[in-house]
Amino acid sequence: MTELNRREFLCYLLKGVSFLGVNALVGGCQPGTDLYPKSIPSSKEKLGTPEPTLTPNLTPNSVEPGAAAAPTSTRVSSPTPTVRPPDLVVTRHGSPQRLVKKAIKALGGMGQFVRPGDDVIIKPNICVSYHSYEYAATTNPWVVATLVELALGYDARRVRVMDNPFGGTAQQAYLRSGIQKEVERVGGEMEVMAPYKYVNATIPGGKVLKQCQIYQDVLQADVLINVPLVKHHGLAKMTLGMKNMLGVISNRPAMHQNLGQKLADLNSRVRSHLVVVDAVRMLMNHGPSGGNLSDVKKADTLIAARDIVAADSYAATLFGLKPNNLDFVRAGSALGLGRSDLDNLKIEELDVS
Amino acid sequence: MSAEGRWKRISGSQFPWVTARQVIQVITFISFLALFAALVRSSAGGEISRDWLLNLPFFLDPLVGLTNLMAGKKVLAGTSLALVTVFLTVMFGRVWCGWLCPLGSLLDWIPLRNQGQGNPPISDSWRRIKVFLLIGILCLALLSNLTLLILDPLTLLSRILAAVVWPALEQIFTGLATVLYPVDFLRPAISRLDGLVRNFVLRSTSVDYRFSLLYAGLFLGVIGLNAAAPRFWCRYLCPLGGFLGIISKGAVFKCRVGENCTNCGLCESGCPTGAISGYRSGGCEHSECIMCMECLRFCQGRAVKFPREISFSGWAEYDPDRRQVLAAAGLSILGWGLFKSSEASRRSHPYLIRPPGAQNPEFLSRCTRCGNCTAVCPSGAIQPSLGESGWEGLWSPILIPRLGYCDYSCNACGQVCPVQAIDEMTLESKRQQVIGKAYLDRSRCIAWADEQDCIVCEEMCPIPEKAIKLREVELKDSSGEVFVVQQPHVQRELCIGCGICEYQCPVSGEAAIRVFSPDGAVPV
Repeated sequence: MTELNRREFLCYLLKGVSFLGVNALVGGCQPGTDLYPKSIPSSKEKLGTPEPTLTPNLTPNSVEPGAAAAPTSTRVSSPTPTVRPPDLVVTRHGSPQRLVKKAIKALGGMGQFVRPGDDVIIKPNICVSYHSYEYAATTNPWVVATLVELALGYDARRVRVMDNPFGGTAQQAYLRSGIQKEVERVGGEMEVMAPYKYVNATIPGGKVLKQCQIYQDVLQADVLINVPLVKHHGLAKMTLGMKNMLGVISNRPAMHQNLGQKLADLNSRVRSHLVVVDAVRMLMNHGPSGGNLSDVKKADTLIAARDIVAADSYAATLFGLKPNNLDFVRAGSALGLGRSDLDNLKIEELDVS
Repeated sequence: MSAEGRWKRISGSQFPWVTARQVIQVITFISFLALFAALVRSSAGGEISRDWLLNLPFFLDPLVGLTNLMAGKKVLAGTSLALVTVFLTVMFGRVWCGWLCPLGSLLDWIPLRNQGQGNPPISDSWRRIKVFLLIGILCLALLSNLTLLILDPLTLLSRILAAVVWPALEQIFTGLATVLYPVDFLRPAISRLDGLVRNFVLRSTSVDYRFSLLYAGLFLGVIGLNAAAPRFWCRYLCPLGGFLGIISKGAVFKCRVGENCTNCGLCESGCPTGAISGYRSGGCEHSECIMCMECLRFCQGRAVKFPREISFSGWAEYDPDRRQVLAAAGLSILGWGLFKSSEASRRSHPYLIRPPGAQNPEFLSRCTRCGNCTAVCPSGAIQPSLGESGWEGLWSPILIPRLGYCDYSCNACGQVCPVQAIDEMTLESKRQQVIGKAYLDRSRCIAWADEQDCIVCEEMCPIPEKAIKLREVELKDSSGEVFVVQQPHVQRELCIGCGICEYQCPVSGEAAIRVFSPDGAVPV
């Protein structure tokens, strides 16, 4: 090795930087950040049939997803439907793990959503770092962990769990909610949402919200599982699946005028492939951060659906509300994100005790 | 450079003491940064308890320990570690300055002046400034005022790390990552690096500090003075150096120039503090010598020795005389009176919000302005005060809720305060501590002024019963149609002043809800 003089060193430096610069340019031109419902690559289409799995009791039914009309991102199109699967599953009276497993099984199994090698993101509600899960400010840890376990059972490449708390640091919130412990126990990753990963995304279907800073990894994930819990909220009345998506954007306070429509717009861009509403414990008042056990009601209920509007609509009834009492449900069904006419949906209610 | 040969020093490897000093300087500097990074990261996991190691640098600083004894009238166990430093000084002179002080090392590594430029064009009488500053600090400490402690080298450096260096590193790292993350093949590497950096060095979120450019400028000024003389700060200004210098006059091991000195002058031009001279009687001014032993490398005749001797070197010609000492003491007391008569002491500033646990009236007589609370605050709420608490409280910590909020699940600031100026609190008691009170500005609030739903402040309020309540009101628009708006009201008796409402208020510019000084509020 000869020694570099200053000129040679600068030359190499320049070459290196321009190489990176060209890459950045090329990278910038790639349609990298598009999760907008696109046609499913054919290589993955055979997946309607059950995959070999580590959890044999979860053999998926051969079913047609999405049934009636829901324009949710139906990733699976099996050729001939035998039984119409339920649009929505409600499980009651069991441990959180059992509630999840039975509900997902009734929907056709996790194989309907996760294919081998998929990058799966699970978005629970971890809105503050103030309280443990008993206070029902954050999603039940075992509900989240069971979903991680199921996704890993279908050979997902990685399963990440993330949220961006508005109160307290993410690390603290992950710890105190108990979610980190349970998720890491079953092999999932907790990701602290990094400030540099937000990209400016346009929302072509949006009526009010036309663009927004959205978390890039969420936009690019193969599967997005939305796991809200049922909580009171001063403005939206309840915070559920559609509102849970506020955790993947960077400027939340600005969303609060005309919230219902903006939530529908946001959800037209960030589509949840599976919505699991945790009502093991519900926060009946002083939401979303809570802090009083007297505001918590144990319901031991779980709702699972592909259709986010349907899931939120059913969850509204847990608060004694009609789906149309919720602005975001009205806006969501008007925008064609899903259905709120519970009477016409095929709902499977299971007692799993 | 005709003099090139003349300035050639003898290689360091022949001088194990010089090499040892250089190694120890690097180790202490890196340890200081590592402890600072550990401090910044310590709040990430939530509720923390006291870790004396994080306070070690300040415990070793005798100026911090002594002034707290004088001003706070309280003995802190940890600050007795400063006796180690005093003992080292009694034995070896200003080894703290030459071997350990991170600011001194930094100034060593940024020489802005060539070795061959000869003696700095500054009168030796400037050296007494540091003694004047020391006298000022001690006099004010007797009067329970610690304002001038902002000139302590350790607090100076750690404040700069907290309010300038770390935030800037965060911005640079985030900026680079934002630019490079869209490049596909770099993505895993960036994610991994980000995980490492944010787990061990930086906060998980970016924080911003007011006036950080001003602080950066002051610090660059301290470094820039090196252009006038090597280690300008240590020679002329550093009050800790002045304190240790007085002790050093009686140190056991001292620099001496022996009989075989040829008066070649090489040691004089190589000495970073200008302490040594072949012409000076005894050869070296011991209150100025930082025991760096550079002179060994220059002394061709090997006349410089560091023998053991019990002696006390007398006053140098530039040491202040009795009259000057009395004048410095008098001036500092006069200055204290002026501080006191500023308007801030009559009525507290409306936005003077102290960290939780700093509500006691003696707070300012304990705070060393070290910036630990600023560094640890996970949301960047704690910021240095410039005017809010008067001259007296310059650089003491205050909360600026628009830039960060007091996290309902964090008690870190009280746990990392080296001198317990901020009370140690359990999370439970911190959640009860009133640090301010929120007031709503109805002329700016979206719900009141624009009659639209917003409720962000209510949503954010961490108090379990909500210190902000919503009331539904029916209003008529211009065409007479009735509509419903939820308007926020602050329940003052429940509010603890955490400021998350002000932080998150979506109104641009000044928030429509602001936290004001609690005016002597006591725990609920």
